[in-house]
Amino acid sequence: MAMRQTPLTCSGHTRPVVDLAFSGITPYGYFLISACKDGKPMLRQGDTGDWIGTFLGHKGAVWGATLNKDATKAATAAADFTAKVWDAVSGDELMTLAHKHIVKTVDFTQDSNYLLTGGQDKLLRIYDLNKPEAEPKEISGHTSGIKKALWCSEDKQILSADDKTVRLWDHATMTEVKSLNFNMSVSSMEYIPEGEILVITYGRSIAFHSAVSLDPIKSFEAPATINSASLHPEKEFLVAGGEDFKLYKYDYNSGEELESYKGHFGPIHCVRFSPDGELYASGSEDGTLRLWQTVVGKTYGLWKCVLPEEDSGELAKPKIGFPETTEENCFREFRLHLSFSS
Amino acid sequence: MQTPVTIPVPVLRLPRGPDGFSRGFAPDGRRAPLRPEVPEIQKCPIAQESLEFQEQRARAALRERYLRSLLAMVGHQVSFTLHEGVRVAAHFGATDLDVANFYVSQLQTPIGVQAEALLRCSDIISYTFKP
Repeated sequence: MAMRQTPLTCSGHTRPVVDLAFSGITPYGYFLISACKDGKPMLRQGDTGDWIGTFLGHKGAVWGATLNKDATKAATAAADFTAKVWDAVSGDELMTLAHKHIVKTVDFTQDSNYLLTGGQDKLLRIYDLNKPEAEPKEISGHTSGIKKALWCSEDKQILSADDKTVRLWDHATMTEVKSLNFNMSVSSMEYIPEGEILVITYGRSIAFHSAVSLDPIKSFEAPATINSASLHPEKEFLVAGGEDFKLYKYDYNSGEELESYKGHFGPIHCVRFSPDGELYASGSEDGTLRLWQTVVGKTYGLWKCVLPEEDSGELAKPKIGFPETTEENCFREFRLHLSFSS
Repeated sequence: MQTPVTIPVPVLRLPRGPDGFSRGFAPDGRRAPLRPEVPEIQKCPIAQESLEFQEQRARAALRERYLRSLLAMVGHQVSFTLHEGVRVAAHFGATDLDVANFYVSQLQTPIGVQAEALLRCSDIISYTFKP
């Protein structure tokens, strides 16, 4: 019997979700942070979407959010002209870094010692997190607001995107190495360290470039304007979402569209694969995050494939069936399953 | 042309959302490791440690007994004592993961029989059944 994708909806935000990021894989699993225009970024367990906590403190929309590799620290970028660094275990605010305009993007180095920020003031800033009182190093050169800034090449270089350009900077000399120009607005950027690949979306295009040379590798066209795309860790698939509310999954090698999913009630602003590649998360204008299985039908996280022989008297009766709802346009059946058998 | 019949992937439950009254995060800031940690050299006295361990074992055993009691109740007639001296009886179906709601059918109330209902656990003072 063929299986149909069941997305898991994570509710809690009250305004559009504009950014999301996964941590690395830690002994406690992996984690997910979401940035929201309601000013309250949330931390969730990465494989289940369970809410862990909300970082309270920003006084404006949060435009960017990230976790460090071991998910001990979080950083957020907000419209209140600050970036904040948080303890991701206790939820406490550790640092507030004042800027001169809306901050859009934040990124930790691998060792969590430095934080890169960028925003509407068109400056890249590098903060030494061990010396929070010290002035940050600034890199100027962008001629429009910075949308995304990322460390790359083992933190020796910086990639930054503004409205129509993507620039590569050398960290040590703080100078521009190379730049790419686009005639359409760049909507998102993702950096894949293994293989040094840069994923850039603009218009309906999903483009892959070398993160070292910025040379183009390949690009695909989607049926609608794409706001964000993510490449699977093993580089077999990519997922993308945008203005038509749908998520698309492509074969990275052939460019063939494999699957597409409806589900969100608004444009998709961000999409990312989990660090183990088993699921991908999407954040939307509709205020929700959804988790989607990479391999539909696999038992993972909250998705549980019950084989016919497992469905014996141990499953608590009765079944609860929900009639067709306009939300999912499908019949969904939940089995309450007390799995405490001997 | 007929599209092949597909069934949606079953899920154990939906992701838990915010609790609505706190900012979350574990109260003492600790996280639960995925695998039990290998016990390291303890600093506290061994006697105290084993008392804690015994208490935890007892808690686990009591929890398991309670959960098995819920399983045993499935399909049986259960009598609930609610607030204000109200008593109702119903066929027990299930509870949710946090045991916050009891799903019952054929709920006999003072104003009639309800085919299906959810009883809030906070409304229930006690319940009893014969296995």
